[in-house]
Amino acid sequence: MQDWNAMHDDDFRMEVRRFIEQNYPEHLRFLTNRPPFQVIKPWLMKLAEKGWSAPHWPVEYGGMGLSPRKLLIYMDEQGRWGVARQFLGEAGTVQLGPMLISHGTPEQKKNLLPKILTYENIWCQGYSEPNAGSDLASLSMEARLEDDSFVLNGRKIWTSSGLDSTHIYLLARSDKQARKKQQGISFLLVDLAAPGVTVRGIKNISGTTEYCEITFDNVRIPISNMVGELHQGWTVSRSLMGFERINTGSPRRAEFAFKRLEALARERGLFKDAGFVDRYTELALDLADLKAVFVHFADMLCRGETLDADLSVLQLLSAETNQRITEFLLETSGELGLTVTESDSDGRVDALQPFLVMRAVTIGAGTSEIHRDIIAKRVLKLPS
Amino acid sequence: MNTINESQSDPAEELKQRLALLRDSARQYAGNAAHLKRARALRGTRPGHDAVVWREMAALGWTGTMLPEQYGGTGLGCAEMATICEALGRSLLPEPVTAAAVLAGGAILYGDNEALKAKLLPALASGDLLPSLAWREDTHATTILAVAARAEASASGVRLSGAKRLIVGGAGADGFVVSAQQHGGLALYWVPLAAVGPRLVFHDLPDGRPAADLELDGIEVPAANRIAGPGVAELALARAYDEALIMTAAELHGLSTRTLEITTEYLRTRVQFGKPIGSFQALQHQAANLYIQHRLCQHALQEVVTLLQQPGVDENVRGALASRIKARCADASLRITRTAVQMHGAMGFADECDVGMYLRRAVTLAAWLGGADVHRRRYARLALTEIAA
Repeated sequence: MQDWNAMHDDDFRMEVRRFIEQNYPEHLRFLTNRPPFQVIKPWLMKLAEKGWSAPHWPVEYGGMGLSPRKLLIYMDEQGRWGVARQFLGEAGTVQLGPMLISHGTPEQKKNLLPKILTYENIWCQGYSEPNAGSDLASLSMEARLEDDSFVLNGRKIWTSSGLDSTHIYLLARSDKQARKKQQGISFLLVDLAAPGVTVRGIKNISGTTEYCEITFDNVRIPISNMVGELHQGWTVSRSLMGFERINTGSPRRAEFAFKRLEALARERGLFKDAGFVDRYTELALDLADLKAVFVHFADMLCRGETLDADLSVLQLLSAETNQRITEFLLETSGELGLTVTESDSDGRVDALQPFLVMRAVTIGAGTSEIHRDIIAKRVLKLPS
Repeated sequence: MNTINESQSDPAEELKQRLALLRDSARQYAGNAAHLKRARALRGTRPGHDAVVWREMAALGWTGTMLPEQYGGTGLGCAEMATICEALGRSLLPEPVTAAAVLAGGAILYGDNEALKAKLLPALASGDLLPSLAWREDTHATTILAVAARAEASASGVRLSGAKRLIVGGAGADGFVVSAQQHGGLALYWVPLAAVGPRLVFHDLPDGRPAADLELDGIEVPAANRIAGPGVAELALARAYDEALIMTAAELHGLSTRTLEITTEYLRTRVQFGKPIGSFQALQHQAANLYIQHRLCQHALQEVVTLLQQPGVDENVRGALASRIKARCADASLRITRTAVQMHGAMGFADECDVGMYLRRAVTLAAWLGGADVHRRRYARLALTEIAA
């Protein structure tokens, strides 16, 4: 077994780079949207064959066992090449795997982890509900314990890639009498083919159907599908402490958007326009400083330190820089730019899709308002 | 596995530890509440700082931090100096450390007159000499290299002409580094206070510290007072300027950090409508926005000084980094200090409240050596290939 961590950083980087350049499909580079599973499947299977589906998992579970330092290089190389659905975008490898490794039973690990790595099972995450968004702990989906089964009733919504998935991990209320709303929640695994499950796609404002609403009508699952202790699901879901959490703060997407802005400026000869150049420079500096903040948090991980509530700073900066760039891209693109689409761009720059897609970055991984609350209360210790 | 050896041989870790020590001692000295009171009392006075404190700072090594050991300094880099400047900024110390030790001192150090260096730099390090750089003229030129003042050969040496404006630290200076055009290009001259005579006029800067205007006509100095001639002078001036930009950014970061602390404390304790005002979400989110700006400055500054700690940094790279950090810290400190005044309500508008002093220092330092707009444009020219081309 290769010990990647023993490799020199530069050698490891070149090895990752070579593999990506040789295997990643050219036409899928630097996409704005997350491509459907069937489109990206050949690439994901290449990763699986190589044993690279889960770079951050321990080797004993089929991962690469990379140190944070090597992981950052791995991620950086994917970003550099414009790889879509970079490994951190997969719910099974990124989220569920590590939670199973730390909280799952030996049977769960043995049965489920290998199928995550081969994409035999494709997982999605069922946390949000129609009435539990930012206030996630108020979720009301019911998991009634009957003998050795749970009976599930309720709805999950805004589930990414639900239409592509075979399974869902979710949070459901197993004890309605619990005193605190975070208590009485269990972490459960459900096969989407089970009777009583209905998946409906939700088209978003960018025109793609990436989210789903999933309805559970008396769905019965064995109690062995519970991860962690009964009523302790909240703790399981909060247990991702390390690398997985800085993913949404990566400056890569903002860099992609900035590259588009650069291309548009070249196309239109805007580098001679002083007004444009002033705003462009401001964004270039925002991006440079965002990267410095990212490096700080990445270094913390590399030193083995625990990330704290101040990670919200990175999340906010990244999301809002992203939005400022795509907003300016759209404005610069003008009326004639409005009809250019990614699939029919004719070499011209597509501004509308990036703008629309990036509307979600200040909503999806906790709204900006929630992150500002976290900074105010938990970092600045302002009173409630 | 020998972890002790590893950590000792890791230069990044060593630097981190050295900076932590330096930060503690600088904050301990500068954080004394008496300094802020003193800064308040010295507003509008001449020379606007305290000669005793200047010597104490020299004794702590702060005026010679970036000077090589052969000139009585400690030969440290931008990272160490920035740490000191950050502490000075936190407490609004009025002594012109950046102006004298980094800007004027750097111009002398990066010149090529060994005899002058041997005479002036040890005196700067020991606190016996406070030099000022007379660079700005009465134009809105945005580069330190735009100089109209002239230096012409005379019977006794060199005769200067022209005028310099807003020399920070000039009210207490023992001499001036003057930029002037001579045959063949830009040069720097050392003009001791004795040669200046009655040609200084003072103005109050927004933070209450004085700046001097210097009429050059009629000033004569020996030819040996040339710090740097054409070719060398441009490089010396550019490097001293970049380093002073970074130190000014560090001061701005220090003062906005302290402003944020003062303001969050006020939000926790000021009660209206029966609650601490910091419990209101409108103020919480504003405070969070300021904190984000603070962290941007912190990590960008750290990156910039770490990069410049390497030997042999390309001149354009250095200039771009210096402008990047000055622009960021100028913008952020103005936003933080303005909002701090707003969050303090009517009290924030009162002179007796410290946040007003922080705002006025931010206004002064944000504009000094060029504001955010100037430095964004310079960054674009130096770093963005599309625009440079």
